[in-house]
Amino acid sequence: MLFNSFHFVFFFLIVTSAYFILPHKYRWLLLLLSSCYFYMAFVPIYILILGFTIVVDYFAGILIENAQGKKRKLYLIYSLVANIGVLCVFKYYNFINTNIGFLLKGFAVHNPIPYLSILLPIGLSFHTFQAMSYTIEVYRGHQKAERHFGIYSLYVMFYPQLVAGPIERPQNLLYQFRQKYNFDYDRVVSGLKLMLWGIFKKLVIADRLAIYVNAVYNNSHHHSGLSLLVATIFFAFQIYCDFSGYSDIAIGASRVMGFTLMTNFNRPYFSKSIAEFWKRWHISLSTWFKDYLYISLGGNKVSIPRWYLNLFIVFLVSGLWHGANFTFIAWGAINGFYLVFALVTQKYRNKANALFLDKIPVLKSTVQIGCTFLLCCFAWIFFRATSMEQGWYIVHKISSFSGPIYHENASILLFSIFGILFLILVETKKEFFDTLFTLSNHHNWIIRNLYYCFLIIAIILAGVFDGGEFIYFQF
Amino acid sequence: MADFAIGSVLNHFYGTQKKGWDYRTKYSIENTTANVLLVGSSRVQQQYNPTFFEDRLHTTCYNAGRDGETFLYQYTLLQGVLNRYQPKAIVLECENNMFLKHPTSYERLSCLLPFYKNHAEMRPVLEKRSPFEKLKLFSQMYPYNSLLFKIVIGNISKGEDEDIKGYVPLMGALQEPKRQVNFDKKYTMDSFKIQLFTQLVQQCTSKHIKLYLTCSPYFSDGYGNDQSLLLAKQIATKYTVPFIDLSKGHPLLQQSNLYDDTAHVNNIGSKILSNIIVDSLLQYQ
Repeated sequence: MLFNSFHFVFFFLIVTSAYFILPHKYRWLLLLLSSCYFYMAFVPIYILILGFTIVVDYFAGILIENAQGKKRKLYLIYSLVANIGVLCVFKYYNFINTNIGFLLKGFAVHNPIPYLSILLPIGLSFHTFQAMSYTIEVYRGHQKAERHFGIYSLYVMFYPQLVAGPIERPQNLLYQFRQKYNFDYDRVVSGLKLMLWGIFKKLVIADRLAIYVNAVYNNSHHHSGLSLLVATIFFAFQIYCDFSGYSDIAIGASRVMGFTLMTNFNRPYFSKSIAEFWKRWHISLSTWFKDYLYISLGGNKVSIPRWYLNLFIVFLVSGLWHGANFTFIAWGAINGFYLVFALVTQKYRNKANALFLDKIPVLKSTVQIGCTFLLCCFAWIFFRATSMEQGWYIVHKISSFSGPIYHENASILLFSIFGILFLILVETKKEFFDTLFTLSNHHNWIIRNLYYCFLIIAIILAGVFDGGEFIYFQF
Repeated sequence: MADFAIGSVLNHFYGTQKKGWDYRTKYSIENTTANVLLVGSSRVQQQYNPTFFEDRLHTTCYNAGRDGETFLYQYTLLQGVLNRYQPKAIVLECENNMFLKHPTSYERLSCLLPFYKNHAEMRPVLEKRSPFEKLKLFSQMYPYNSLLFKIVIGNISKGEDEDIKGYVPLMGALQEPKRQVNFDKKYTMDSFKIQLFTQLVQQCTSKHIKLYLTCSPYFSDGYGNDQSLLLAKQIATKYTVPFIDLSKGHPLLQQSNLYDDTAHVNNIGSKILSNIIVDSLLQYQ
C-alpha cells in the first residue's frame, strides 16, 4: 500500500479511529494486524520472510540476555547471519551470481549456479536493519529483551516506518508500544500537517520532477549535456522530496497516534560539507552505520590511515545497502572519497579560506553550500544511472556543457521549476529565518489555515496522482 | 468553496483557450461538425492532412488525432462527438499494441477529465482510470490537475496555431536506412479495450456512419503481425468494415526523406499518405 494512494487514506482513517476507540490493552494487536495488512497489500507471501526474521530475532534477544560469556556473542552472530542471509538471498544473490559468472567467463568456465527469479521484498533492508539493531542493543546491554512476542513483532512491523524507515532503535520505539496515548488535538493536528507537507513534497515536487528526470535519463543518448545536467539537479531534489516526503508522512502518521519517530532529514542541501550532509540526510541510516559499523571498526580511535579506511568502508557498505548494483557501490565510494579527501585537505583549505572567504562569512557559507550540493549531484548521477557505463557517459556528456535543454512539455518544466523554488523558499525560511515569522504555525487562525489550503490546492492542481511508488521502497 | 471557485475559474479559462492540444480536443468534442473525422494518436495528428481529404472528397474534414494517446482516448472522444452529432465518416487509425493491457493508457485519459462533468457518455471509461476516480472527481479542481500552465499558455499565446484543421505537420527528414524490427511479440491484451473497439464498430454500423480503419506505414520492416492489429482486422472483417492496412509499407512511401521518424511521415510524406488513404476511401464508396 502506497502512502500516496487513496487506499492508504481510508486505511489510515480506519486504523487511527479504531486505535483511539479501542482500550489500550488491545491497541498493539490492532497495530500489528493493520501493519500485516499494510505489508501484505504489496506481495502477501513476503510476510513469511518478515515472520522468519521476527521469530529469529525475538528468540535471539532472549537467548542473548540469558546467556553468559562467549555464548552471548554466538547467539548474536547467529541472529546477524540469519538477517544478513535473508538480505543476501533476496537482494544480492543474483548480483553475486552474475559477477561470479562474469569472472568464470574470463576463464572460459560456465557458471553452473542458477539464477533466482524472485522479486525483492519491499523495504527488506529497512526492517532487516531495524531488527538487527534490536539484537545488537540487547547484546550491548542497552535494551532488555522483549518478552511479549506481539510487541516485538510490532517493533519490526510498525506500518508507518515498515517499508522505508526511519530505521528506529529499540530504546526509542519499543517502550512506546506500552504507553497509553490519548487523543490530543494539538498533536493530531501537528501530525496531520506533517503528513500534508510530506504528501506535497512527494506528489507536487518529487513525482513531477520524476517525469523530466525519467524522460532524460531513460534516453540519455538522445539528450544533450545541458539536459542531463538539468535532469541531474532535478533528480537531487526529486530523491530528497521523495524520501523526506515519505519520512514526513511516516513521522506524521505515527505522531497522530502518539508515537515519536526519529527525525530522518534536516534540510540536507543546506550542508556546508559532505560530512554535515551525512548528518542531515537519512539520519536514521547514517547513525545506524555509525553506531553499529563505524564504531565496531574502531571509528576514529585508530591510526589515521585506518580511520580513513573505516570511513571508506562504511560508505561502500552504505552504497551496497542501497542496491545490488555497482552504481550504488560507486555512489558510496564517491561519498567515502569526499569525506576522506575533506579530512586530508582540511588544513590547506582552512589556510586558503583565511586569505579571503573567512572575511565574508555569507559568501563563504554560500560557496560551501553550493559546492556541497554540486558534489552531491555528481554522486547522484551514479545513484540514478542504471549502469556504470551510463553513469560515465552522462558525466562525460555533462562536461561538454552544451546542447539545447529538453523542454518538449513546457508545462512539466514549469511545474518542476516552481516546485523546486517553493521548496527552496520554505527550507530557506526554516533554515535561516525560522524565528522571524511562520505561516504553518502562525498565531492567526486564518493565515495558518490559508497556508494549508494552499498546500491542498497545490496538491490537487499540481500533484502527480499516477506517480507510483517511493524510490526507497526498492531498497 | 475554494475548490468550487478555483475549479470554475479554470473551467472558464479552459474553454477560452484559442490554441494548443486541449483547445483541439475541446474543439473536436464540442464544436466540429466535419463530415469526415480523422481519429487516432500522433500517427493521425501528424500524418493525415484534412485539406487533401476535403479537396478530393468534396466535404468537410477535421483531424481529431492527439499525440501520445491510445485507443481508450479515441473511443471516449468519439463518444463525446457521437453524442452531439453524426459525422458521415470516421477514419480510425489502428496501431500496434492498441489492445495492450497497460495502466498508462488509462492514466493518459486525464486530458479528458475536464469533460467528465458535462459529458455523461464519456464517464464509464474515465471512471476506469482508478478505483477512486469517481471520488476524486467530486473535486471541481481535480479535472484540471497539471493543466494550469497549459491553460495559461493556451489563453495568452498569440500568433498562428501550429495546426491545419487539427493536423500538425512534421518538418524533419529521416537520415537512416530502413531497419528490421521484431513486432510480433506476445503480450496480454486488455479485454475492456477489445470490448470497446467492438462496441464502436457496432455503434458506427447501427448509426450508418462509414467507419474506415487504417494503419499507416512505418519506415521499418517487420510490422503487420502485431496481435492487436490482427484482432482489429478480424473484428473489421466480421462487421465488414474496411481496413486499409499500410503497416507493411507502400511503394510510394519507401524513401527515408519522406519520414520525420520511423513511425511518422513528414509534411511531404503526409501529402502522399493522405492521398493514398483518400484513394482507398474512394474505392470503398
